[in-house]
Amino acid sequence: MAVDLSQFQESFFTESAEHVETMETGFLELEERPEDLDLLNRIFRAAHSIKGNAGMFNFAEIAGLTHKMENVLDLMRNEEIPVTPHSVDVLLRSLDGLKSLLDAAQGAGEADQEIIQGLEKELQACQDGERGSEVSAAPSSAEETVAPQTAIWRLIKIDWIPLPELFQRGLDPAQLFKELHELGMIKDLQVQVDKIPSLEAMDPEVCYLSWKLELETDVSVDKVEAVFDFVRDGSELTITDCAPKQAEPYKRVGDILVEEGVVTPGEISDGLAKQKPLGEILVEEKKATPEQVDKALQKQKQQKKGEVASIRVDTEKIDKLINLVGELVITQSMLTDLGEKFTIDQLPVLQERIVQLERNTRELQERVMSIRMMPIGSAFHRFPRLVRDLSGKSGKQIQLVMSGEETELDKTLIEAIGDPLTHLVRNSADHGLEGPEERVAAGKPERGTVRLHAFHDGGNICIAVEDDGRGLNRDRILAKAIERGLIADGKTMSDDEIYQLIFRAGFSTAETITDVSGRGVGMDVVKRNIEGLGGSVSVQSTPGKGSKLTLKLPLTLAIIDGMTVRVGEDNYIIPLLTVTESIRPKSSDLQRIVGKGEVVNLRGEWVPLVRLYEVFNVTPEYTDPMQALLVIVEVENRRLAVLVDELTGQQQVVIKTLEQNYRKVEGVSGATILGDGQVALILDVPGLAKLARAEHTVAA
Amino acid sequence: MGKTVLVVDDSVSMRQMVSFTLTGAGYEVVEAGDGKEAVDKLNGGAKPNLVITDLNMPNMDGISLIKAIRGMAPHKFTPILMLTTESSDAKKKEGQGAGATGWVVKPFNPEQMLATIKKVMPG
Repeated sequence: MAVDLSQFQESFFTESAEHVETMETGFLELEERPEDLDLLNRIFRAAHSIKGNAGMFNFAEIAGLTHKMENVLDLMRNEEIPVTPHSVDVLLRSLDGLKSLLDAAQGAGEADQEIIQGLEKELQACQDGERGSEVSAAPSSAEETVAPQTAIWRLIKIDWIPLPELFQRGLDPAQLFKELHELGMIKDLQVQVDKIPSLEAMDPEVCYLSWKLELETDVSVDKVEAVFDFVRDGSELTITDCAPKQAEPYKRVGDILVEEGVVTPGEISDGLAKQKPLGEILVEEKKATPEQVDKALQKQKQQKKGEVASIRVDTEKIDKLINLVGELVITQSMLTDLGEKFTIDQLPVLQERIVQLERNTRELQERVMSIRMMPIGSAFHRFPRLVRDLSGKSGKQIQLVMSGEETELDKTLIEAIGDPLTHLVRNSADHGLEGPEERVAAGKPERGTVRLHAFHDGGNICIAVEDDGRGLNRDRILAKAIERGLIADGKTMSDDEIYQLIFRAGFSTAETITDVSGRGVGMDVVKRNIEGLGGSVSVQSTPGKGSKLTLKLPLTLAIIDGMTVRVGEDNYIIPLLTVTESIRPKSSDLQRIVGKGEVVNLRGEWVPLVRLYEVFNVTPEYTDPMQALLVIVEVENRRLAVLVDELTGQQQVVIKTLEQNYRKVEGVSGATILGDGQVALILDVPGLAKLARAEHTVAA
Repeated sequence: MGKTVLVVDDSVSMRQMVSFTLTGAGYEVVEAGDGKEAVDKLNGGAKPNLVITDLNMPNMDGISLIKAIRGMAPHKFTPILMLTTESSDAKKKEGQGAGATGWVVKPFNPEQMLATIKKVMPG
């Protein structure tokens, strides 16, 4: 039976990623507590699992490297070699090598063989150097070569006195004979019963029998020996190979030609060297261009990358889901039953059942959503290492404190916030925290602290990155903003407004570009990414005390809080997060400006006005803004007044994408189905703003 | 009736692979994520014809599990195969001492595993 193991590779990769994480955090802790045996055991087990499984899935390189790491770890936990900063460093770098191998195995890039081999040598040095010149551990099984098998008919004599506790180990002699029988003919089987004691002295769980037999077979002695693998210890076993008859070993065509003197071995290897990859042959014969072949090869490689996104779910969550579905089915059958013989006096019962259905559905929805929820800790795991590396490079002493790792949010979001968070942590460590001297001079502990804290806040999750560094420099930000032409000189601004400037495009205060941050990707990108996820970023700072950046994100991307509005007979949803207020303007507030279209005066600020009915070409109830309503929305620091007939309510809506079913529509991010069965379009506010601007530019 | 195998391993991918292979070969499979879970399943009435267990596991390792199984009257003679990466004999000896019937050395391919199972599965 051939079994395709590749289908389990995905689990292998998921699992390995977890083990790698365990090892990474483990190594970092190990630096602080080199004596911790439990910790070492935990790391060892992770390495051991990767090694074992990698072997199973034929990733020899991964198995090889982890094997070396495991050896070092094993010696450490047996206290044969000490845990030194150097050895932990080698292990950490090996872990990076391991990650690159894992990535390569998943089709993402290639691992640098030289680096891997270098690491293996370093690991070997850790293992040997500190243990003296003992010969390295047993060679890996891959290196053991097996002698070529040749078919020989032989007679094998077997003399077996089994271990007495045979049965207590779950062994059965009959099985053994069956197996021998499959290898050849059993001749002359003798059972020896002389060791059987008297009935009173006999222990029924002990084996008193022994056997002598002859086997005629064409398999090697090794195979016969292998039958007794599990019983050899404790048994007395003699296997004698008699009268073998030699048979011809299998020869390849080259061997035969050499033997017959037709060609020399040299000519054979010359000929073999001429064998070429298909691509080269096709190019030579002008059937394909080298570019086409390269492209095809690239494509071939990429096939491997098409990984399936999967999620690991607690069985408990699934059990609860199944329970709920069960309840739903019961409710449904009760309703069917009721519907068959319904009379009006049963109305209260019907209503009660419907309430029950509603409850089931809501709970089901919550539970299904919770499947996508994962603890945010998995996004945090990279930071201890990052901070360690940063403090190494910058000469600062940094301690990272994380809390709220168990806070759950949508898996997609966890993946999406990784980079923005990394940026924030780097910023805090690089720009926020001072060097040790400066800190001591300011009366702070030498070691700076970066705090990473996640918590739920209503329907949102907040992630705060906080440092106890010098805080944002108000004057420098202001000077920079003026220099960059982001604001006009002489404008008075509050501290808060000034701090907000760091989110503007083209702003970066790092005067020297360091290795870790200040490479052009600024806070504006962070802000844009987070807003793209339906979230927001805010900053708080106290000079000399530190600063705190807070990301606020929805728990999931699939459901948003929406404001339902009506235009004519159509309903639209405006994401609640973008809505700041609703107003009914006075006529004096309305203006038409050439090149900008209609604007409305909002406490001194001129805000562009968008007539939703024009955008979607529907007939509204009101066209006069003084009768209708203006919803003020704000996104990317830009405000927009949206003209609608009426606000109809506020509710959570499930987003259905239009692209999958229709095509992308400008100004619309999706659609949803309202309680009464009507479809409502969900407005894409940034898109709407763009649409409005474009129209007016054309009009002008 | 099909024969039942209890597969004990903390690694999901290994369990999946072993279970898939066994199911494909016509065995019924009961899975457990560590020794403790396996003991619970056995105490809960599971009656496997064979147990396959990993050695390195959290909560209760393979050796302790083997000892525990040998102490249960209904499973005293049930064959137990251990999965091991140790090429050294020490672990095999330890396993045999605890009452393991045999072992399968990782890495193995499915065919090797099935052959070994056949070797010890009571007829």
